[in-house]
Amino acid sequence: MTTWEGLMHGIGFALQPGVLVYCVLGVVLGTFVGVLPGIGAMAAISLLLPITYYITPEAALIMLAGVYYGAQYGGSVASILMRLPGTPQSAVTSLDGYPLAREGRAGVALFTAMASSFAGSLIGIAVLVTLAGWLSRAATAFGAADYAAMMILGLVAASTIGSTSPVKSFAMVVLGLLLGCVGTDVNSGVQRFTFGRTELLDGINLVALAMGLFGVAELIANVRDPDRQGVTERIGLRGLMPRRDDLRRLPGPILRGGALGSFFGALPGTGSTLSSFLAYALERRVSRRPERFGKGAIEGVSAPEAANNAAAISAFVPTLTLGIPGDPIMALMLGALVIHGIQPGPLMLEARPEMFWGLVASFGIGNLLLLILNLPLIGIWVSMLRIPFRWLYPAILVFLCLGVYSVRGLTFDILAVAAIGLAGYLLALARFSPALLLLGFVLGPLIETNLRRAMLIGRGDPMIFLERPIAAGFVLATAGLLVLALWQAWRRRAARRRG
Amino acid sequence: MQKDWPDILGGLTLAALGAAAAGWALAHYDIGSLRRMGPGFFPVALGTLLTGLGLAIALPALGRQAGPRPGFEPCAVLAVLAAILVFGLGLFRIGLVGATAAAVLIATLPAPHPGRVWRLVLALAISALTVLVFGLGLRMNIPLWPRLS
Repeated sequence: MTTWEGLMHGIGFALQPGVLVYCVLGVVLGTFVGVLPGIGAMAAISLLLPITYYITPEAALIMLAGVYYGAQYGGSVASILMRLPGTPQSAVTSLDGYPLAREGRAGVALFTAMASSFAGSLIGIAVLVTLAGWLSRAATAFGAADYAAMMILGLVAASTIGSTSPVKSFAMVVLGLLLGCVGTDVNSGVQRFTFGRTELLDGINLVALAMGLFGVAELIANVRDPDRQGVTERIGLRGLMPRRDDLRRLPGPILRGGALGSFFGALPGTGSTLSSFLAYALERRVSRRPERFGKGAIEGVSAPEAANNAAAISAFVPTLTLGIPGDPIMALMLGALVIHGIQPGPLMLEARPEMFWGLVASFGIGNLLLLILNLPLIGIWVSMLRIPFRWLYPAILVFLCLGVYSVRGLTFDILAVAAIGLAGYLLALARFSPALLLLGFVLGPLIETNLRRAMLIGRGDPMIFLERPIAAGFVLATAGLLVLALWQAWRRRAARRRG
Repeated sequence: MQKDWPDILGGLTLAALGAAAAGWALAHYDIGSLRRMGPGFFPVALGTLLTGLGLAIALPALGRQAGPRPGFEPCAVLAVLAAILVFGLGLFRIGLVGATAAAVLIATLPAPHPGRVWRLVLALAISALTVLVFGLGLRMNIPLWPRLS
C-alpha cells in the first residue's frame, strides 16, 4: 500500500459513523478535562481505559488519542484565561497568553492557540506519515539487543532530559521496572512477588496503577481546592478575530514550533512538555524584540501550541512502529492495545493497516473537529471554569472505582487503587514523578524479555550490546546522556558552593 | 528553614524497598547465569540499583536546608481513601446505591464549604447517575440494593 492509498483508506475508515463517534467523544472529553484544572490527560485516559474493553481496538486508540490532543487544546484555554494550566504542556502558553487576556485580547490569544494547534498537528501528521514507513522498514533489522538498548535509552532520556532532579526521576523509573516484575515470569513460570495472591498472578493491573497514581492522587490534592474566581469577560465569536499584523506574525512560529515538536515527539523519552518549553525558548531567541515575551507576545502562544500538538502526534512514531512508548501517555495507549492482544511493532503497518492509517486520518479529522467545535463552544468552556471542583470530584471518585472494577471484576483492584493512590499522593508531595514510574512499569517486562534473549544470543557476553551497530549507537547515546547529567549536577553543585 | 525531609524520607523509603525486593528475590528465586538469566536476576539487579539511587537521594539531602515543607492534607487523604475502601468493601454487601451514596458522603467531608444539604443532594444525584450508567446502561453484574435474604 502506498502512502497515498493508505491515507485515503484511513480517511474512509475514520469517517465511518461508528468510528467518528469515538473520535468526537475523545476530542470533546479531552477538551473538557483539559479545561478543568485538576484532572490531566493522564488521569482522563486512565479513567477511560476500562471503556476501551467494550469497543474495537481501532476505535479505542482513536478515542484515547483524541483525549490526548484535545486535552492539550483545553489546557491552553485555562492557561490563557486564568493562568491555570490544566496540563503541564500548556504551562508555557500562560506566560504570554494570560497577559494577552489581561489586555482584553483573550479572544485573539484563544484563536492563535487554536490555529497554531491545528497547523502544528498537520506538521506532526506529515512527520508521522513519512517517518513511520521508513522506521518500520528499518525496525525489521532490529534484534533483541537493539530493542533492549533502545528502551533503556528511552528511559534514561525521559529521566534526565529536562528534569530538575535526574536521580529522583531515575529512581522512579527503576521502581516502575521493579513493579513490572510482579506476576508470573514468562520464561520460567515462577511467581514473583505475588505473596500467594491469585489476583497478582498476571501482575499489577495497569488500569489500577494508572488510576491510583493519577486519578486518586490528583483527587486528594484537589479536594480542598477553594472555589476559583470565575472569568468575568464575555468572549464572543467577534473577539476571536485576529488583526492583520497578528496574522502576519503567525507562520514563522508555527513552522519552527511544529518542526521542533515533531522532532522531539518522535524521540523516545522526550514528550510534548519539553518541546513546548523548547519552542518558547527558541522563539524568544530568534525574535528581534525578545523583551516583548512574557508581556503578551503572540509568538509566545503560537510556537508552544504548535510544538506540543506536533509532538503529541509524532510521539506515535516509536509507539506504533517499534512498540516502544516515548512518554507515559503513550505507555498507557500501548497498554490499551496490549489489553486487546495487539503488540505494536514493525509489522503493524502491514498487519493492521486500518488501525495505522485510520489513526493517522483521525488525527487530521479530530483536529479539524477541535477547530470547528471550539469556535462556537468557547463560551461553554469558559463557563465550565466556574464549576466548583467539589461538585465534580465525588462523581469522578465513584466512576474511577467502578472503572477499575469493570476491567477484571475484582474488588481487590478497588482496594489496590486506594493503596496506590496514597503512594502516588506521597510521591507527588515529595516531588517524585509518578509518570516515569508508569513508563518504567510498562517497559519493564519488554526490557527484561529482550535483555534475557540478547544475553542468550550473545552466549552470556555483554559485548553483544557493542558488537551490533544499532545497539552500540543506543548504548553510546545513553552513556552520553548520563555523562551530561553528571556534568550538569557537578556544575550546579559548584555554583551553589560559590553562591 | 529546615531539613529536606521529603528527600530524606523518600530516598530512605526507596532504598529500603529496593533492598527488600533484592533480598526477597535473592532468597526465593533462581538468579541463573548471565547466559541464562533466571527469574531472580532482573529483580535483584533492579532492587540493588534502587537501593543505590535511594541512598543517593537521601544522603546529600541530610546536610541540606530546604524551603517550607510541602503541605500534607491528612483530612483530604483520609476522606478520599476511606471513601474508596468503603465503596470497594461495601459494593457487594450494601449494593451499588448504598456504596455510592456512602462514598460520596465520606469523600465530601473535607470540602471547603461545609453543608449537609448539598452533600445529600450530591449523594442522591451521583447514585442515580451511577445506577443509570453502570447498572442500566452497561448492565454490570453488581447488585443495586442490599440483599435481604
